[in-house]
Order: sequence, then structure tokens, then C-alpha cells
Amino acid sequence: MQTRRSFLKFGASAATVGALAPLTAHAQSNQVEWDESHEVVIVGSGFAGLAAAVEAAKLGAKDIVIFEKLGVYGGNSTLNAGQACFANTDLQKKLGIEDSAELMVQDQLKSGRGYASEELLRHSAELGPYIYQLTKDCGCVYRDHIINTGGTSATRSHQVIERSGAGFIRPMLKTARSYGVKTKIRHKFEHLITAKDGTVLGIQIRKGYHFSHEDSGKLINVKAEKGVLIATGGFGANVSFRQALDPNLGEEVGCTNARGATGDGLVAMLAEGAMPVHLSFIQSGPWASPDEGGFGYGAGFSLYNFPHSIAIDRNTGQRFMNETADRKTRADLEVQRRDKDGNPNPALLIAPKHEAKKDPSMENVLRYNVAWEFDSVEAIAKHFDLPLAALKQQINDWNQYVKQGEDPQFGKRMNMSTGIYLTAPFIVQRLWPKVHYCQGGIQINTKAEVIAAKNGLPIPRLYAAGEVSGGVHGVSRLGGCSTPECMAFGVTAARSMMKA
Amino acid sequence: MKLITPLIALVISSAIASTAMARDQREYHQMVYDSGCKTCHDQGLKSFPSDTACLQCHDMSDLAKQTARKGHDAKQNPHDSMHYGQEAPCMECHGEHTKKQAICMDCHNFDYPKFN
Repeated sequence: MQTRRSFLKFGASAATVGALAPLTAHAQSNQVEWDESHEVVIVGSGFAGLAAAVEAAKLGAKDIVIFEKLGVYGGNSTLNAGQACFANTDLQKKLGIEDSAELMVQDQLKSGRGYASEELLRHSAELGPYIYQLTKDCGCVYRDHIINTGGTSATRSHQVIERSGAGFIRPMLKTARSYGVKTKIRHKFEHLITAKDGTVLGIQIRKGYHFSHEDSGKLINVKAEKGVLIATGGFGANVSFRQALDPNLGEEVGCTNARGATGDGLVAMLAEGAMPVHLSFIQSGPWASPDEGGFGYGAGFSLYNFPHSIAIDRNTGQRFMNETADRKTRADLEVQRRDKDGNPNPALLIAPKHEAKKDPSMENVLRYNVAWEFDSVEAIAKHFDLPLAALKQQINDWNQYVKQGEDPQFGKRMNMSTGIYLTAPFIVQRLWPKVHYCQGGIQINTKAEVIAAKNGLPIPRLYAAGEVSGGVHGVSRLGGCSTPECMAFGVTAARSMMKA
Repeated sequence: MKLITPLIALVISSAIASTAMARDQREYHQMVYDSGCKTCHDQGLKSFPSDTACLQCHDMSDLAKQTARKGHDAKQNPHDSMHYGQEAPCMECHGEHTKKQAICMDCHNFDYPKFN
């Protein structure tokens, strides 16, 4: 099935092939000129990579290295709202929330629309309380408030006090280093180095790499004694790659991802014969704002406010969705908001200030022109050119739904907004989806082993965790469910490597 | 001939680009230029300087103090940010010969009036 090529000497011959075609190269370990050797080799410094490093160190690994392509650590993991869905934690019990791993799996299966992996979801959900404790042991601090995210039947999105993934990444990075984990920036993973039988021996890395300067730095060969974990994240920032998979996601569609989310790790594993799964399932975030770049501040604001706020179409002055439906449902409906000429006419999220002000996100969106305050319905209608009567009626209807605890219009779960009426003054943010997450990737099993396409068997000593893996979530991932899954499979990969 | 014309244009434009690169410099770095390109280009003239090159003269914790912000904005200090602490290498945001913007601006509408 595969073309086998073997190089007596690596280095120069491999280097000349260039970055366009990550090559598959086979060798015997004693034929490769190794520049470095480590017990555990991790590519990527996001949630999956750091969790793996911490777990491997706890299990006694003495020589762990993390290679990060960018000049800064954390990749895409540091750019989000810092939420993680865990079921059955002490904080949920304290707040009187009943939940279970099983319920979390069921919610995710529903959103996965028949494509999610029940086995992988269950593995991740069951590790949830362990991950929750691991992060706390690393020094991550959670808020007392648990967030409601779309598509969940129990309140379970635990959030760090920074309200950003940075609140996980920095304490975990510090903890990893305290265990002696070596962390290196500007080291770009080029390709795997494998033996003739497919066993992964190590990786080739571009050391001294500067992002988007593909020839910068120099190539080195790194030997991995126990295995290689690819934790390189998704490909949302790679426009040509994502557009090939989903023609709707061209240049004009924004993206919340870190600039490094280009799919290098995925492509290198595909080159090695890994099984691709669900690559076309690319998720857009329905909480994004078109009035700033990337993830920004708007996402945090809408995440907090969706349960007790309404999203309004500017042509009709009416709601058009359940504001806490799953991400795909909402993003698909949001991009349909158009003016008469078919140009984007982003919907408005209208939140009551009396509730919005309880979260620090409000100050940020107001200050940086991502949302605006209005003291009456009339003022909103005038500013955004909405039909006033329809909007007034909608707000009155909504407040009736709050009162009766039921949303006959879109079936929103109303126990999240009990007693929170939509009254002036209002905070208004525009909504337009941005590419956020790749459900697809290469196939893994519950040991975080990468599966070969040709025979369905694990590729020896190759592990993957996090967004680079695919098939876990199916068609649409629920909010706050990637972070714990990245960490769960990072931990799992570390356990597998240390057992092998 | 049709092929040659764009080729010539390409050669000329890249020649212009490379001279512009050498010329584009901060006036207050004149003393550094006087002591030679290798002062910063410690990994060879065709390579990017190492991430410690700027730190021969600049100190990150001093810079963090200079750009400190108060209260809620404290986390927006580009030299000591919520996401990257004091670890973001200078060249992630600053370019001596290339115009850049702070990495924060990928996602945020921050105002860094003295940025250069």
C-alpha cells in the first residue's frame, strides 16, 4: 500500500524535500544521525501536551521534552474562555448540581449527531474528576460559579478565575517545569522518523523556527525512547486546508485560533498512514464578534450572557434561535442573517445590564468597542435600524417566558435564567461565527494510540491527543468539552507510554 | 519574452526589498548599527537573531515595569501578560527591519500608543 523508502543517512537528503510535502521516511535507528534523545517526546504545548508532561513526570519519566512551534507557549489552548466541562465534581455538589459522566456522554452524543465515539467520550468523561484535581494540583483556580454552555442538560462548565485558557496553561507549564520537563519554543515538528515496520523512532524538528518563515532554523533529528505524542491542535487557521474540506470556510470567515493552528502534526501523521476521521466537520463559534479579531473578549461576554439574553435578527426584530442550542445549530442560523443584497447582517445579542455586569467580561466588551450600552429599546432599534414594534413585542414575550419558566418559541432551557428579566439598560453585541474547532483529525483509541488506515491497528509508539485527533465529538462539539478531553487523552498517552 | 519581463520585475523588486530591509532601522539603535550587524545577528547574518539578542541591552522585568497597567488592565501589560507572562520573546511583537504589531492584536483591540 505504501511506498517504502529508506535513507541511509537522514538530515541533508530529508531537508531538501522541503516543507510543502512532509515526507514519509523510513530508517533503522542506528542509521539515523540523532541530534538529541529523550525518553518522552511531546509536540505541542497546549492542554494535551502539558497534561501529558505532568502525568508522565508523575509516573516517573526522567527526561521529557515539549517542543512548541511558536515563540510562545500554550498554542490555541491559551486563547479561549478557560472552561472545562466536568461531571460529578465537589464544586457541582456544593452548588447542588446533579450530574454524571453518563449524562455528559449522552449530551455529547446528541450533539455529535450519530458520528461521535461513545467509547472515547466515555473514557474522557470518566477521567473528568481526575483531570479537575490534576489542574487544581497544578495551581489552577476555579471560580465558584459554574457556567451553562449550549447543549448541556446539567450545569457543568467549570471556569478558571482568569476566564481564559491561560489560567490552565501557565500553572501547568510551571508545574511541568518544576518536574524537570524541558520546554522549547521555536521548534517546529517537520515529520516522523519511522522504522521499516512503521514503529515511530523519533521526529525531525526545525530548531530556531520563526513562524511563517519556513526555511528558518535548522533541522535536527530527535530520538524518542518511549514514544512520540503529537498534540499539535487543529487546522482552523490554515485557510486552504479547511476550505478544501468545507468550501464555506474561505478567507472571509474569521477564525478564533492561534496563528499556529495550521495542522502540521495532522498532515505529518497522514503521511505516515494514520487514519483520517471526520475532517470536514469544522466548527464555528456562535459567540464570536465581528468587531474584533480572533477569540477576543466578545466570546466570553456572550458565553456568560446567552442563557438570559436574546439573539435578534435585524430584519425582523425577532429571535431566530435557541440561544443555548449546540454550537452548530446556532452558528448555522447566525450566518443566515443577511441584508437584502445577501451581505452579512450580524445578529444582535441583547443582554440585561443588571445581570451582565456581574461578569467582568462586560467591562472589556464595552471598553474595546465590542459591545455597546443602550438605555432603551428605542435606542437599540434606532441605532441598528430594527423594526421597533416587533422588537418591543419580542422582549415582552421573552420576559413572559422567563416568568413562566418555559420558552414556547425555541424551547430554550429556562432554569438558567430564572428571575432574570430583560430590562433596560441593555448591553448589545453583534454575533458572527468564526472558525473555532476541528472535530476531525486522525483516529485514536482509548489508549491515545494512533490508528493506521491500512489495517486499523495502532502505529507503534505514536500517540495523539487533543484537537489533532478526530472522531471523538462527531458533527458538533459541545462548549467546554475540548479542554477536558485534550487533558484526558494527554494523560492517557502519558500512561500508555510509561506502561509500554 | 513574455516570461522574461515579469522575471526581471521580480528580480528588481526583490533587490529593492532587500535594500529597504537593511535601511529600515530605529534611529535610537544607531550605536548598535555602528558596532556591526553581528551585535544582534548572533546566529549569522542570514538568520534571525536569537531570542536573547535584544536582552543584551533590554531587561524584560524593567520593560514590564515601564509598560505596567493598573487594576483590571494589569493583565494587558504586553511585557507581562495574562497569556504569556514575561516569556513572550521580543521578536514575537517587534521587528527591527519589518513592521509588526503586538501579538495581542491578533484577538484584541488594545491601544498601545507607544508601540514600535
